[in-house]
Amino acid sequence: MPSRDRLRFRLNGQPVDVFCPDPRILLDLLREDLRLTGTKRGCDLGTCGCCTVLLDGRPALSCLTLARLVESREVTTIEGVTPPQGLSPVQRAFVEHGATQCGFCTPGFVVTATALLRANPHPSREEIERAIAGNLCRCTGYTKIIEAIAAVGGR
Amino acid sequence: MHLDPFELHRPRSVEEAVRLASELSGQCDYLAGGTDLLPNYKMHLNLRPHLIALEDIPELRGHSFERLGAMERLADLEGDPAFRAAYPGIQDAVGEVATPLVRASGTVGGNLLVETRCFFFNQSFFWRASLGFCLKADGDRCHVVPQKERCYATFSGDLAPSLLVLDADVEVAGPSGRRRLPLSGLYDAAGDGIRRTRLAPGELLVAVHLPPSARGQRAGYKKLRVRPSFDFPELGVAVAGRWDGTRVESLRIAVGGVETYPRRFDALTDPLAGAPLSEEALGRVASEVMRGVRPVHNTFLLPDYRRRVVEVYVRRAVREAREGSAA
Amino acid sequence: MASAPTPPTNPYRLLGGRIPYVEGPLKVTGRAEYTDDIQRPGLLVGRLLRSPWPHARLRSIDVAAARALPGVYAVLTGDRYPIPFGVLPITHDETAIAVDASRYIGDIIAAVAARDEPTAEAALALIRVDAEPLAEHADPRMGTSKVTDPIHAKGLAGTNIQKEVVQHFGDVDAAFARARFTARVRGTFAGVTHAFTEPMATIAEATPDGRLTVWSATQVPHYLHRTLSEVLGIPMHRIRVIKPEVGGGFGGKSDPLPHEIVCAALAIETGRPVKILFDREEVFYTNHGRHPTQNEVRVAADAEGNLLAYDIEALIDGGAWSSFGTVTTYYNGVLAMGPYRVPNFRYKGRRVYTTKPPSGAMRAHGGTNIRYSIEVALDRIAEESGIDPFDLRERNALAPNSTTVNRFEITSTSFLECLSAVRKASDWDRKFRQLPYGRGIGLGCGFYISGSNSPIHFTPKMPQSTVHLKVDMDGGIAVHSMQADIGQGSNTLLAAIVAEVLGVDLERVHVQRVDSDVSPVDLGSYSSRVTFMMGNAARSAAEQLKGELITAAAGLLGTPPEEVMVGHECFETRGPPPASVPFLEVLHRAMEAKGALTASGSYQTRPKGGTFKGAKAGTAPAYSFAAYVAEVSVDVETGEYRVRKVWAGFDCGRPLNRLAVEGQIEGSIHMGLGQVMGESMNYRGSRLFNPSLLEYKIPMPQQMPEVEILLVGKDDPEGPFGAKEAGEGPLIATLPAVGNALYDAVGVRFTDLPITPDKVLRGIDRRVAERRAWKGA
Repeated sequence: MPSRDRLRFRLNGQPVDVFCPDPRILLDLLREDLRLTGTKRGCDLGTCGCCTVLLDGRPALSCLTLARLVESREVTTIEGVTPPQGLSPVQRAFVEHGATQCGFCTPGFVVTATALLRANPHPSREEIERAIAGNLCRCTGYTKIIEAIAAVGGR
Repeated sequence: MHLDPFELHRPRSVEEAVRLASELSGQCDYLAGGTDLLPNYKMHLNLRPHLIALEDIPELRGHSFERLGAMERLADLEGDPAFRAAYPGIQDAVGEVATPLVRASGTVGGNLLVETRCFFFNQSFFWRASLGFCLKADGDRCHVVPQKERCYATFSGDLAPSLLVLDADVEVAGPSGRRRLPLSGLYDAAGDGIRRTRLAPGELLVAVHLPPSARGQRAGYKKLRVRPSFDFPELGVAVAGRWDGTRVESLRIAVGGVETYPRRFDALTDPLAGAPLSEEALGRVASEVMRGVRPVHNTFLLPDYRRRVVEVYVRRAVREAREGSAA
Repeated sequence: MASAPTPPTNPYRLLGGRIPYVEGPLKVTGRAEYTDDIQRPGLLVGRLLRSPWPHARLRSIDVAAARALPGVYAVLTGDRYPIPFGVLPITHDETAIAVDASRYIGDIIAAVAARDEPTAEAALALIRVDAEPLAEHADPRMGTSKVTDPIHAKGLAGTNIQKEVVQHFGDVDAAFARARFTARVRGTFAGVTHAFTEPMATIAEATPDGRLTVWSATQVPHYLHRTLSEVLGIPMHRIRVIKPEVGGGFGGKSDPLPHEIVCAALAIETGRPVKILFDREEVFYTNHGRHPTQNEVRVAADAEGNLLAYDIEALIDGGAWSSFGTVTTYYNGVLAMGPYRVPNFRYKGRRVYTTKPPSGAMRAHGGTNIRYSIEVALDRIAEESGIDPFDLRERNALAPNSTTVNRFEITSTSFLECLSAVRKASDWDRKFRQLPYGRGIGLGCGFYISGSNSPIHFTPKMPQSTVHLKVDMDGGIAVHSMQADIGQGSNTLLAAIVAEVLGVDLERVHVQRVDSDVSPVDLGSYSSRVTFMMGNAARSAAEQLKGELITAAAGLLGTPPEEVMVGHECFETRGPPPASVPFLEVLHRAMEAKGALTASGSYQTRPKGGTFKGAKAGTAPAYSFAAYVAEVSVDVETGEYRVRKVWAGFDCGRPLNRLAVEGQIEGSIHMGLGQVMGESMNYRGSRLFNPSLLEYKIPMPQQMPEVEILLVGKDDPEGPFGAKEAGEGPLIATLPAVGNALYDAVGVRFTDLPITPDKVLRGIDRRVAERRAWKGA
């Protein structure tokens, strides 16, 4: 492949080396080229948060990220925050607290919550509300999502 | 939603970026955080065949008490407690921008130069084509105030008012070198929703500089919007001032989100220096600011209402700044 | 917020507790498979050309250049599959692609299948449409008389009226003549839409064996199955409909939608699998959300506050198609018939076609807007009569086992318990009219159908729900049914009911993906029917298996079958001597004669309702009831407000999965709050100005009130294990509770929804200008 269109970055802990033209959006690269479909496409315009991934450990909207700009960086998707066996504490809490209904926004929320709890292991309710305010959920009214995150944070 | 083809450039220095822009004259956009430009590109709004990504230019990064790099992420300002303590007004504004996810990518420069917004502009190609294109993209008429000369798109950044009241300067690089100008001079009062800044073609915003006087002011930012997240400002009021006891030493008010550019109201606030600010005087100033702005119906809330709230928010912002603790 | 803990009287092992979703682990890891996640070899991209005109006659469409574009496999126009369809058999007025005219901005006028998205879009741009603009019909009021260019030939006598309902029970005029108190409320309601997070998506594949497989994000796979067959002219048995995981529906994925048929047609034309995935703007144009509505409610009461009559009119903006509109038109009247006794009732409802995206069924369909106006009217009656709003409602509550004037059979109701629970919890008697100016508390109530008694399709006659079970030697129990889990938790409930009856652990029960080849018909997720109907069908199927297993267990235990009981993962006898035998051992004994055990259970409603025209609308095997209190605080200088807390008293009979019931109530409150606070389909003329999640204002976490849920229902006699619905009824009471609380806060009646801060401020201004003090301000 011509080096111009070659993109190398780390994805969920592994190096990847893919064909990627300039206008390719990270979400499209993940879902369509790399077939990692856990990251969801809800609006494509940064207005729902369903496509949230971690970029060097921080949440980012993959629908508004040019894939070429993750060159040499670390991308972590919902697949990457999931342990090989079982569930992460955030994921377990989401299941047990009923924080997932239709589930379509859930990967984005789990990624956002994972990043929040890494940066701030014991967030207050207000801090949780602020942190998830870029992820839209139409099913739960957020109540059980906040409860689940608070439970992991021990508050 | 795919993006139409463009060539991506990744300069390593400000000079290289500016040179590229000059070579590609008019055929390029600078790409900062992408949270404003890429949705617009997805909607086919004013596409250019070249994008100059500012990602790899170290000089554009970082923040201190004196300087904010244009490519500094809003989340990085938000996450700095010392900065918050020094500049409560800036922090108020940063924390109100869009969503945490947008702030994770969005930048200082991107917010200062955020594209003006309008119901008739921020729509898909299909939507705009079906109505007839507008002045600001692909067309020759304004649908807000029907005529063919002036664009009424609304300035929708949150950061600008909070920096305007602190007398911030901006550093700009262009083909003929660098220049510094007051932030208030960046925005073109004689322009419109399209010609909104005084940047020359290809000029790049490098940094914001905060003068020593900016620190320790009592400052705040109030934002009107339907939801406490996601929404662009329907109105943004920034205030900064110093008090000696009850006596006003200095007071500045800036308003964004209601016209094509953000602006300060020094003519109303300068006379207040040197004396205590009575409730009557504050009320008068607030009413004058309200009378001074001319929102149009191109955002979610009605213009009359937004003007009404200008008066309330100015009063409240000044009161809260006065009563708040100085940094 | 958590509800009260499970009462100790719960006789069930699983049901009545908090049961996490069985597919939860797949959803939280991104492993749940939604339609757009499915990959098929050689998949083509389908894209739709949409009408830029609100109303136009399509003279000709030239697709030659599009067809000739390399990478394009098919281009379709409306003439290829012109058979009309619609979710209701009596109002087939949609076509897969516009045939003669386009009827709203966004209407489908052509479709392409191409190798990729850019090629498909380039092809759309090459299609030339020769169209003649026709009269735009944006205002439903204008559509009630004769118009030029009516939207459909089927409209009433040259008008755009799609459906008119006139009903009169008792003597309303006489009742008003003797009334001591009357109140009139005129409500205006902007349209709202479901805004589920998963955009519509469909994949279709026609294979050389003559079969068509369609994967689609649908709430009602069975109606999609029927419609595909009718429009494509393929017998149902050659079509296979699969429902993958669905990312929310709320009614918006319950109509068979044109793009689902188009996708199938493109697959047939090309011989290749085709996917159509909507962008968010297309989701907004497809709409089928809650109708923009204007209603007028007059309520009459006697001196003691006994309700004497309702007189209701509704003008309902239908948009371009019928969709569920005939039902909507009835519901806007008849869903006023609870939770109170109303001896005299008159209703005139009209649903009018407009050149806007179609409206249809949205959560608490037909019951929401009319309920707001009624509950506000009751608040006025209470104020005028000096009767407390709670006392007024208690006095008029429908009694258990009673019949309404329009022949609804009310069986179980715990409405009074809902009222008393929230009155106490909210400290109502110390707050109502006693909070300071700007703070307020309000009561709103509601009821809703627990499933529609009459199915939409009544030929052939068959049960509303069927559930199949199969258990083989591995001891895993496979459950098949066409019920559609769209996030409400029906798969979990299905598994839990089977596990409960058979005494096994939940992990033994595997609910299979909906697949028309193997799933028996259930009519799908609409009208809050699933828990009630599927639940009864599942219970019946599981009871049959249990019978076989008990016979086998009796043999193993050497006791008569009557003495065998279901234990936990075993069958036991009290003895003496007490003994037990493990589930698997019993199963293997039962299989000796015939191999794997299978069972089929079903549920059918019993005939209900009167015999007059429209009598079946709103009849249900049971009804849910709600009483909500909301507390608000208003910024009286800006009109901005917060709903601080909602106390939700709800009667869903016995809650079978408290986690899911709470989730439904919290989510309903959030959605109801959206309609009150800011959500609206903003039209100027027929043009939608906010087809985006940025400008369509779904509330944020910070806007969500604290919610205290009070589940006070008693067992319903017909519901499975005593349960009734909890998916839609919980939305309705939210709106009037907030509206009435705003009145208590600032003394202004808001009847134009959404109640945005500018409207609040205008109301306060008006009251101030009229020098009418409120609570001392």
